[in-house]
Amino acid sequence: MKIGHALWLGLGLLASGPVAAQSVTVALKADIRGTNPGVNRDDDTDAVALHMVEGLVAYREGGTVGPLLAEKVDLSGDGRTYTFRLRRGVKFHNGADMTSADVVWSWNRFMDPKTEWRCLSEFDGRGAVKVEAVEAPDPHTVTMRIDKPNALFLDSLARTDCGMAAVLHKDSLNPDGSWKAPVGTGPFKFGEWKRGQEVILTRFDGYVSPPGDKRDGFTGQKKALVPEVRFLVVPDSSTVKAGLEAGRIDIAEIVDSDIPELEKSKNVKVLLGSTGGRHAVIFQTTDPVFKSAKMRQAIAAALDINQIVEVAASGRVKPNNSTIHSRSPYYSAVQARGVTYDPARAKQLLAEAGYKGERIKITTNNRKTAPSFNIAVVIQAMLQQVGVPADIDVVEWATHMDRFLKGNYQIMVHSYSSRFDPALSFEHFTGPKRSQPRKVWDNPEVQQLLEKAAAASDEAARQKMFDELHTRMLDEMPLIILFNQLDAWATSARVEGFTPNEGRARAWGVSVRN
Amino acid sequence: MLRFILRRLLMAVPTLVIMAVSVFVLIRLIPGDPASLMLGDLANEATLAEARARLGLDRSLPEQFAIWFGNVLQGDLGRSITSGQAVLPLVLQRFWVSAQIVLAAVLLASLVAVPAGMIAAWRQNSATDLALVGTATLLLSIPTFWLGLLLLLFFGLKLGWFPVVGYVHLSEDPGAALLYMVMPVATLFLHEIGVLIRMARASTLEVLRLDYITHARAKGLSEGAVLWRHAFRNAFGPTWTLIGLVLGNLLGGIAIVETVFTIPGLGRLLVDAIFGRDYPVVQGCLLFVAFVYVMVNLVIDLLYPVFDPRVTAE
Repeated sequence: MKIGHALWLGLGLLASGPVAAQSVTVALKADIRGTNPGVNRDDDTDAVALHMVEGLVAYREGGTVGPLLAEKVDLSGDGRTYTFRLRRGVKFHNGADMTSADVVWSWNRFMDPKTEWRCLSEFDGRGAVKVEAVEAPDPHTVTMRIDKPNALFLDSLARTDCGMAAVLHKDSLNPDGSWKAPVGTGPFKFGEWKRGQEVILTRFDGYVSPPGDKRDGFTGQKKALVPEVRFLVVPDSSTVKAGLEAGRIDIAEIVDSDIPELEKSKNVKVLLGSTGGRHAVIFQTTDPVFKSAKMRQAIAAALDINQIVEVAASGRVKPNNSTIHSRSPYYSAVQARGVTYDPARAKQLLAEAGYKGERIKITTNNRKTAPSFNIAVVIQAMLQQVGVPADIDVVEWATHMDRFLKGNYQIMVHSYSSRFDPALSFEHFTGPKRSQPRKVWDNPEVQQLLEKAAAASDEAARQKMFDELHTRMLDEMPLIILFNQLDAWATSARVEGFTPNEGRARAWGVSVRN
Repeated sequence: MLRFILRRLLMAVPTLVIMAVSVFVLIRLIPGDPASLMLGDLANEATLAEARARLGLDRSLPEQFAIWFGNVLQGDLGRSITSGQAVLPLVLQRFWVSAQIVLAAVLLASLVAVPAGMIAAWRQNSATDLALVGTATLLLSIPTFWLGLLLLLFFGLKLGWFPVVGYVHLSEDPGAALLYMVMPVATLFLHEIGVLIRMARASTLEVLRLDYITHARAKGLSEGAVLWRHAFRNAFGPTWTLIGLVLGNLLGGIAIVETVFTIPGLGRLLVDAIFGRDYPVVQGCLLFVAFVYVMVNLVIDLLYPVFDPRVTAE
């Protein structure tokens, strides 16, 4: 028996070999798609890439934009030329100094269609803005000139799905111009990618952090405290739980249903927050039943959103009927106004809308990472109470997205991903259905107002327009925004300094106790 | 023998062609496309159209099929939409990971299940038979994901004997790799012995009822000699065929076990590719799986005469 124990102990030590004492292991739900920022990506891919690369500007906590590789950003009087003064002393992972020439080279590479940058159409004139010229008047200054004033320009540059329009060194490419690996300025360097298994990053000792003594979204203090981060692919949530308990995983995003059990564990710390992602009930306003605003208002009055949040997020976030997150500086008293649960009024509105008891279909999906199915079940019960019979059509994610993009649904429980600026957030669901079937709110007046808000840079004027948009949204009710995505994370007990940030792991500022 | 092998291989060609066409059409019949999944709800229409054109999804289906199948005939299964890797090396690399686990589990399960099934048949209706059949039925009834999680929680988490997450290749560190393989192999082993014990028992029972066994017993041979020398070879035939089918099935993917134990195998690659609508990977994986299935069963058939001389490979 003793020999057996010794053998197991030996094997156990052998198994613990690959984990370095000081490395931090972060669980990923799926393998990354690539290492080329903003090209072939998803949320996990962005999270890994943004440890290695940085852009001129980045999102702060709460979604405003702040300088990252830039020290200062000035806007010309005509609102068309942005001047970025670069931070001095910033180095690439290969030891080279970061200069304005690198910024221009990186930008030109992104704007080359061969790069296949997913955000190309946002900057080449097909989207809201056209970048007409990018110049480097001196080694520490870059200017970017756009075709017309646009308040969202910096926000678009900071977008994580655009790879933050990262400044890269030429060594990131092979001699033939193909992508090799990121040589950026981030706090961690690319180490190794074992496909399907893990991505290993190592600390960049030459890293120069932006000023500040604390993290601030993707900017602020970004010093790496651990020598290595391992992003380990762990697709199953039960395995994530076991890994956290066993101390083999240090940081992981967890599913809502695992929160109560992990909160009781001595080996695990649970950290909760909310992201700018929005869970919503969206209506197909061209559907014969839902083309009437009164019908949509009736559905809204039938929903007890507090109860939906209680069931779908265990009451761990607050209801929010605004598309603007409550942490945003634009979250005013008007934005805090929402829908009121009133079944009697719902019945009255149903009668006024001429509802004849038609059976309705709620489309939702079975993703574990979003509470869409639970929301649909609660809504079905609530609609039943006011005399609206409903069926739930549960599909897998790819089918859900196909129906969403084609507008092929009657009512859909959908989760919009995070967009920080209110104008972008409204734009997510506002627009002409004929050319963009995914859009929910098709109203030319609203569209014009939104375009004005996107171009305006005066904050008070923007606030007024966003408040008007919110009021009109509640009135026309093309969708009902329910609440923001719960950002649920857990760390092993030895981890210190980790905080969730918009559903993405940040390993800088994180340390481990031995 | 050579003609038999050639004939079987030629017979496999239409199977693989039908498979290729079916997979190509079926995966495209499911709603959703890789471009929209890749871009999510942040993409605008221009980006989406660009991505679809880049992936060749804007071409007609016959055109897409002709390009893909033409490349397949030249040994090129295309490139993964999600990772950009060449499909054939990717499939082979992931297959090797799964194959190590499957081969170990099936070999161990066969070594345990065949004698156990024969003993159960030999002691039919006794307490031993009841215990073996009961255990086999129980193991067969437990879903592999639940069995895997139980092993993970008990041996990994509670006792701490085995690592609960991660994977190490045999080439990197053989000792550690073996340790990472124990729980997945045990999960498959426990499930498959349930299947094999029942088959070994049923086929042995059939053989034990035959006249030549009565004759052997009448000659005064010991029960051991009757069982191993006379019953085994004839009784093993159906179990051998079943081992082939089990092996073919498992080599095609053990997605659930791979997901629970974070193993980067072929099953997980296929499931991820289906959810991500990574058409070239789905097509490549399934074509390869069909090929493996045909090959495994060919080998099983070629070895059949070793156990049952009445069967020839002609």
